[in-house]
Amino acid sequence: MNRIQCLSINHNTAPASLREKIRVSTSDIIPFLKKGDEAYVINTCNRTEIYVLGENIDSFFSLLQKCSDIDVSKLREYSEIFSGKDAIRHLFMLASGLESAVFGEPQILGQVKDAYRDSLKTGMSSTIMNKALHRAFRTAKRVRTDTDIGRLPISVASEAVDLSCHIFGDIKNARTLVIGAGDMASLAAKRLKDRGASNLCIINRTYEKAVDLAHELGGKPMHFEELVSALHESDIVVSSTGAPFPIITHAMMTKLMKERKYNPLFIMDIAMPRDVEEEVGKLYNCYLYNIDDLKSMVEKNLNGRKDQIVKASEIIDYETAMFEKWLKSLNATETIKDLYDLMDQYIADQIDKEISSDAKEREAMEAALRSATKKFLNRTVNFLKAHPDIATIEHTRRIFQLDEDYQDRNKG
Amino acid sequence: MNIVELYLDIYLITSLVCIAQLFVRNQVIISTTKTMFLACVVFHLISIILLGVQSHQLPLISLPQAINMMVFFASLIVIPLVLRQATYILGVFFIPVATFTIAFTLPFAGVNSGTVFHSYQYWYPIHTLSVIAGEALLGVAAIVSIVYLLHERLIRKGKIHRLGSILPPLRILDKVLYNALTFGFIAITIGMIAGALWATSLNLALAHIAPKVIAGAITWLIFAISIHQRFAIGWRGRRTAIITLIGFSCIIVLLIVICCLFPGSHGTGLLL
Repeated sequence: MNRIQCLSINHNTAPASLREKIRVSTSDIIPFLKKGDEAYVINTCNRTEIYVLGENIDSFFSLLQKCSDIDVSKLREYSEIFSGKDAIRHLFMLASGLESAVFGEPQILGQVKDAYRDSLKTGMSSTIMNKALHRAFRTAKRVRTDTDIGRLPISVASEAVDLSCHIFGDIKNARTLVIGAGDMASLAAKRLKDRGASNLCIINRTYEKAVDLAHELGGKPMHFEELVSALHESDIVVSSTGAPFPIITHAMMTKLMKERKYNPLFIMDIAMPRDVEEEVGKLYNCYLYNIDDLKSMVEKNLNGRKDQIVKASEIIDYETAMFEKWLKSLNATETIKDLYDLMDQYIADQIDKEISSDAKEREAMEAALRSATKKFLNRTVNFLKAHPDIATIEHTRRIFQLDEDYQDRNKG
Repeated sequence: MNIVELYLDIYLITSLVCIAQLFVRNQVIISTTKTMFLACVVFHLISIILLGVQSHQLPLISLPQAINMMVFFASLIVIPLVLRQATYILGVFFIPVATFTIAFTLPFAGVNSGTVFHSYQYWYPIHTLSVIAGEALLGVAAIVSIVYLLHERLIRKGKIHRLGSILPPLRILDKVLYNALTFGFIAITIGMIAGALWATSLNLALAHIAPKVIAGAITWLIFAISIHQRFAIGWRGRRTAIITLIGFSCIIVLLIVICCLFPGSHGTGLLL
């Protein structure tokens, strides 16, 4: 276990000005590896991390120096090193998004997977690193499904889309109106589109911009003069114009809601200054959220994610312990012992299935089974004794499904 | 243990599983709840059939029996909602209420040999079953209304990620509420007409049945107004939920008042 080490330069230890200079590719690492060593490297905007299964990680500072032209002493100052169990724990936390600048963000898992593919291509990652990364993916999945971290959105657009889903359910059939064609409106519209909104209309003072955005998102452009009729037809409204005064007034909406027969209307006002008068939110079946409302919800969600850290830590500790257990079992003696345990379990299952209650008969059957299975295992055991290398041991463990997560690994 | 005790026990265990679901969200628990709820309904049906066989008539000859039948009808109505992924959580709200109602009325719901219904016109089963089905639908509508108001409040406050995340969207709740109200209203209307025909065939004096007829008419009117307002001026969502709860409360209050002040004022059945 202690051979696994991690060298990390991340957003907690180093400023962006330093981080941006450091980029290590997998091919850079290969000359630094000895025979039997394994490695894994990940670069994101917030971190560069090198995981090594070898004797000494210090030699990698010279690699970093070569890649970045930064002094080794400075690199040491801005980095942190994890060894053994701590390195594995750090990898699991990283994959789960718990080390990310935006706590719990899911994109990091994709980056970890991409980096793993690179390691596999170059052959840097082998039995142990493969296992560690598969375990990291499994841990990340568990953290997302078994805690609330994945359920609490931390972007204004995602929160607004979630709110609209709580009103309309599937937003696929909801009629969506986007007022404005700026960055914020475009981002929110894209998020709605990603979540299935198919019936999009875009209104903008400059009609050409509405046409461009509509073209990009597959929606329908409308002239600004059609605002009232568009509001009448919509279920979800996203407003983000640069207007200096509210374009949707209480008087306008009072009349409109009556004409709509109070069909629910969800308005997301992400403009500053606001596009929608505050009193509109008090109208019956009209749900108005402005940028401050949404930001405060997002803030709460972020705190909610942080509250889940204890639960997530428990999962990570468990998975780290399981990895440690597997690593310890990765020797011939342990594997042979596990094989015999499997044999005992198999015999016990067969005896339990046997309906005969005669003790002598059962004993005779157990002896016969034991003899047969022992002969069957003999060749495998002898081969393991003769070739006690990690690859053979790991293959044997996979063939006989000796580890509790064999199903995950067989998925490839 | 007889079948009656058995189905109450299954309801009880299902209720506990439902309550557990509010704290532990797990696909296994959801599937278990659905299966157990179906078992509840099957055993409930068997117990009603046995009760009918023992008394040689529809087991509706006492108030507890009528309430028991109403819970059974309500359970039947809730089955498709519980089986649907989007609305299964309504079962979590319904099943404990059903269990409590059954536990409260079951000791008195046995065979009542003293009241045998001689004037057994076929208006009687139509009247009683329609009214009970209508009231079961309104009971379900009341539970849906509570869930609607709760979810709407959570949405207004932006607290959608804990309890709110398991509640059905407002649009679906409104649709369920509307369907329950419409069919409930139709069933009660049929029941009232059948009741009037039945009373005529028995030559019952209006004075004898007046308290429940008036109470029934008030209830019918409240729901008629609710449905009318929805079509006429778009009362939907929160307002429909509130008026449903007011209407259902009226049923309960009128039931208690009439049973206390005018005992035996109405031949048999539940309310109307």
